[in-house]
Amino acid sequence: MAALLELSEVTVQFGGVVAVDRVSLTLDPGEIMALIGPNGAGKTTLFNAIAGNVPVTGGKICFRGREIQNLPVHGIAGCGIRRTFQNGGLFPDLSVIENVLVGLHTAVASRFFGLVLGGVGARRSEREATVRVRALLDQVRLAAIADRPARGLSGGQQRMVEIVRAVAGLPPVLLLDEPAVGLAPPVRAELANLVRRLARENGIGVLLIEHAIELVMRVADRVIVLSEGSKVADGAPEAVRADHAVLEAYLGHG
Amino acid sequence: MLPQLLVSGVANGMLYALIALSMTLVYRATTVLNFGHGDMAMAGAYAGLVFLGFGLPFVVAVPLALLLLFVLGFLVQRFLLRRIMQGPHLALATMALAVGYALRGVARLRWGNQVLNLPRPYPAGAFSIGSVVITTDAVVMCGSVLVLLGVLLLLFRASPLGRTIRAVFQTERGAALVGINVPLLHGMMWGAGAALGAAGGILLAMVVPLTPDMGEWVLVRGFAAMTLGGFGSLPGAVVGGVLLGVAEEVLGFYLNTVFINITAYVVTILVLMVRPRGLFGRRALIRV
Amino acid sequence: MAEVQTVSRRVFWLVPLALLPLPLLLNPYQLFVAELVLMYVPVGVGFNVVVGNLGLFAFSNVAYFGIGAYVSGILMARFGLPWWLSVLPAGLAGALAGLITSIPALRGVRLFYLAIMTLAFGELMRWVYIRWEPLTGGSMGMSVPEPTLFGWPLDGARKFYVLLALAVAVVTTTDRLLASRFGRAFMAIRGNEIAAAAMGIPTGRFIVAGFAWGGFVVSIGGTMYAALIGHLSPDSFNLTELVLEFAIIMVGGLGSLLGSVLGAALLTTLPQFFMSLPGSEELAFGLLIILVILFLPRGLASLLAQLHPIFQDRYLRE
Repeated sequence: MAALLELSEVTVQFGGVVAVDRVSLTLDPGEIMALIGPNGAGKTTLFNAIAGNVPVTGGKICFRGREIQNLPVHGIAGCGIRRTFQNGGLFPDLSVIENVLVGLHTAVASRFFGLVLGGVGARRSEREATVRVRALLDQVRLAAIADRPARGLSGGQQRMVEIVRAVAGLPPVLLLDEPAVGLAPPVRAELANLVRRLARENGIGVLLIEHAIELVMRVADRVIVLSEGSKVADGAPEAVRADHAVLEAYLGHG
Repeated sequence: MLPQLLVSGVANGMLYALIALSMTLVYRATTVLNFGHGDMAMAGAYAGLVFLGFGLPFVVAVPLALLLLFVLGFLVQRFLLRRIMQGPHLALATMALAVGYALRGVARLRWGNQVLNLPRPYPAGAFSIGSVVITTDAVVMCGSVLVLLGVLLLLFRASPLGRTIRAVFQTERGAALVGINVPLLHGMMWGAGAALGAAGGILLAMVVPLTPDMGEWVLVRGFAAMTLGGFGSLPGAVVGGVLLGVAEEVLGFYLNTVFINITAYVVTILVLMVRPRGLFGRRALIRV
Repeated sequence: MAEVQTVSRRVFWLVPLALLPLPLLLNPYQLFVAELVLMYVPVGVGFNVVVGNLGLFAFSNVAYFGIGAYVSGILMARFGLPWWLSVLPAGLAGALAGLITSIPALRGVRLFYLAIMTLAFGELMRWVYIRWEPLTGGSMGMSVPEPTLFGWPLDGARKFYVLLALAVAVVTTTDRLLASRFGRAFMAIRGNEIAAAAMGIPTGRFIVAGFAWGGFVVSIGGTMYAALIGHLSPDSFNLTELVLEFAIIMVGGLGSLLGSVLGAALLTTLPQFFMSLPGSEELAFGLLIILVILFLPRGLASLLAQLHPIFQDRYLRE
């Protein structure tokens, strides 16, 4: 059986600059893989390449054995690869529940004419989606802010909502871009629990960019270290942590 | 026929260049596209008419009209636009549009739909060079715009004020850091834009009938010239204006007279579809 | 919670019900003004979907309006169709125009560039009306035959009720659309196109859908124009008309369906008080828009929303 997500020799070039240099990795269902490295190492560019936001100039990205690097962004998302953004990923004018409903966009079956003509099926699928999202928000204890517009939320709330939005449809792959930035320690712990639960209970393969090293150590099954676009280390968290050279060089301090 | 078309085209085009240039100044300084600019030009022409009506000579009435429009432009920026500078783009553009619309209303309230003319301070006539007929209107149009362009260029390149303005064009934060009063300069640029637009309106009202609706015509041609030259480019505005004027005449003669009226629209659409940065735009200012 | 919302929103059906006795209460002139309001409801609603919900500065609204009016008028005057049979073709022509005007937006043209370009398209359409004389009557305009409905002349109370039904249909269908994944996709595109695509939304397709729906709905307003005014002239579809339509959604509230309706009601009745003094209408509109931007950036709809939560519109924004 093909791996969930497999990158082989993925390269991203901007003009003469090689931002990602022949990176290969394999992500399995239920696995949490952390991507670490200094700023400018190419972590976010690699995310953008997987999600289709920047063109891949070399190599292959396969999702369940199918090449996806030439699909449009919405096509990749439609396969079930969802991501969060480093900042400003929410839709500010939409409420929390509407934001999460947008995350379910591909799962709602209502069609244009069905909606306009007031078709029963279209209305039912809209209503079912709403009920489902309400339940989900209840589960992650965000029900209290469900009808608040996203623009007024605190940083921590915004991040939680963004993650919930990304996983609302239980996508097979989740890409988290620095989810813990600016979060208070208790919220970080909550976040770590959520990520672990999503992987263990729902079998989601998680690729995580994170600077907060204690979070990485707590949740990651595997750690990949990028530097100047290339993979320089790959292994269990303890092994990478023990690899003092790696930490010294790429995290500055251990 | 072609030389004749070129001459009249260039004469009209100089006017478009002036309008486009004044819009570009405002746009570059404040990133607001003045959708009310045509109406400011119209207001300038009416202001000239009013001052002439007081019995003032032309050389006094026109500077007074320009001064009045400078003050108007400054006040609009100071009291209306500055308050919403941080707001959405749409609000800024709409504010400019609404100001123009109100000006149009004032003009119509006072003068109705009367067709007026600014009396020329020079004899209307024409002379010919070979087979080409050149009207004094064309000469005055080209001459005045060239003089204005020369003065602007001098101000821009060789005066401390010009350096300040260019600094603000480059980077507002940087300009503010070295002690330039950016908000004041924004106001000044709106004033200058309005005054230059008024100069265009006055020139126009001497050769075509002056009505409260003149602004629309002016605005559309200003947009087209800016687009053709490349948004935000000062030389582009001038070249774009002249080319537009020539294109109107040439296409109007060889293809169909309707092109005298629609060239501006067609140019706008085609340029934005095919080459959004126009002739001289440094970058396509278009978000993906 | 969701149930409560749908129930409370049904209260809005009281509005058209309350309007039913109007033909008995108003004199013919007042009734005409009321019908004008009904005509501007779809015009504002369609405009607002594109500008308010999709967040794209497309100012080709008057083109859709004119196309609707002319297609309707031409089908009646030149092809002998009754008015009611011209409504759907005219709407479809408007949808097609919406589709065409969405092309620059699809190619990434945004902000002022899109505004200028679509403005140019609208003005260009005016020259099509002027130059396509055999069909449109050129700059002199064309007369439209008396509208009929299933053979009955469409006049008096009957006309009012038909226009009311059309306006209500436009508002309800658009409401359904906006309350669905379509409306959310529009708002997502407005907020953050990259994130919208990352949610699996084919943004291009939804931009086309928004424009097409906008064009369709506004053209329905155009057919109402043909039925109401009876004479079509290119000058009726100029930039002044655009400013009126834009004012409707700005003053009403961008992105708000309720706002479109409120704006149509206010800005259609308001000019009736200024008719006698040319220019006063423009001055009043200009000042009104300035005041709204400065002091009520979310439009009249936001004012109502403060009165009672039922008026809280989904997608109201600045």
